[in-house]
Amino acid sequence: MSWNDVLAAIEATPASRAVAESDWIFPTAESLHVIAITLVVGSILVVDLRLLGLAWRARPTRDLEVQFLPVTWLAFAGAALTGSVLFLAKPVSYAHNPLFIAKLAMLALAAVNMVAFHWLVAPAKGRTDPSSAAKVSGLVSLGIWIGVVALGRWIGFTL
Amino acid sequence: MLNHFSAWLTNTPLTVFLENAAWAVPLIQTLHILMIAVVFGGAAFINLRILGLLDTEQPLPNVFSRFLPPLTVGVVVLAVTGVLLIASEPNRAIFRVVFWVKMGLVVAALLATWGQRRWVAAGLAGAAKPSALAYRLLAVVSVGLWVSVIFAGRWIGYVSGWPGSPT
Repeated sequence: MSWNDVLAAIEATPASRAVAESDWIFPTAESLHVIAITLVVGSILVVDLRLLGLAWRARPTRDLEVQFLPVTWLAFAGAALTGSVLFLAKPVSYAHNPLFIAKLAMLALAAVNMVAFHWLVAPAKGRTDPSSAAKVSGLVSLGIWIGVVALGRWIGFTL
Repeated sequence: MLNHFSAWLTNTPLTVFLENAAWAVPLIQTLHILMIAVVFGGAAFINLRILGLLDTEQPLPNVFSRFLPPLTVGVVVLAVTGVLLIASEPNRAIFRVVFWVKMGLVVAALLATWGQRRWVAAGLAGAAKPSALAYRLLAVVSVGLWVSVIFAGRWIGYVSGWPGSPT
């Protein structure tokens, strides 16, 4: 079974047809997707600003992470769920859209950056002054997530 | 009157530029979304704190002073990008009821957020302050208003203009 067969099979499911044909499912999922991604970006922004030494300089990074990363994870789960609903509207079309593929690649990069951060920067997290590695990680994170938002919006223009 | 305004707007250099530069509208929309992250995120963090769900060790006045200034800047940028988005398609947003509903909701959400800040300031000054329940209720209302703004914003793209509108 090729990828195209899998995608065509998904597109034929009742769930996919429902999303494609309904007046309200896609707009609702989209609105919830916006809410989820703004919470992802907002909570990541808190930690990244700290890493860059631009805000909360008196608080250890670890402290902010403990408070705000649960929001990030929960919101990301919501974004993935609502994103899957959006995907169901046109699985074949999205899967072949270079912008959608690029967006998924960016999300993978975000994961890599996160792992790298926890491995390389973790020992210094109790500090109140960020290291160069922490600043780079924060900057990369910001760039990636702005890219994810930009690509996500751009997809809407290519349909 | 709106028909005259949009007809005038259609012919301005700004609108012509926005309609012709393929990158302009996606860029402005992306900036609009990033500012929503600052505004909705900021409001969400303030309200989650009030509801005792986030960063509960932080004193409430600190949370307000941390998140309200960027929220205010974000609202200004949202207004500017919003105006540019209207200019890019003069026959769209302003002829849809849901757009004006959204504007009303933005005003209501800002009033709620401003009200929350005043309550905290009153509490700090030793004045009679609302009960914990009142704080929490207003926090829930505030979140609901900001969520509604986002729904209304998205819905602009899915409804038709009212009778007599250009599109």
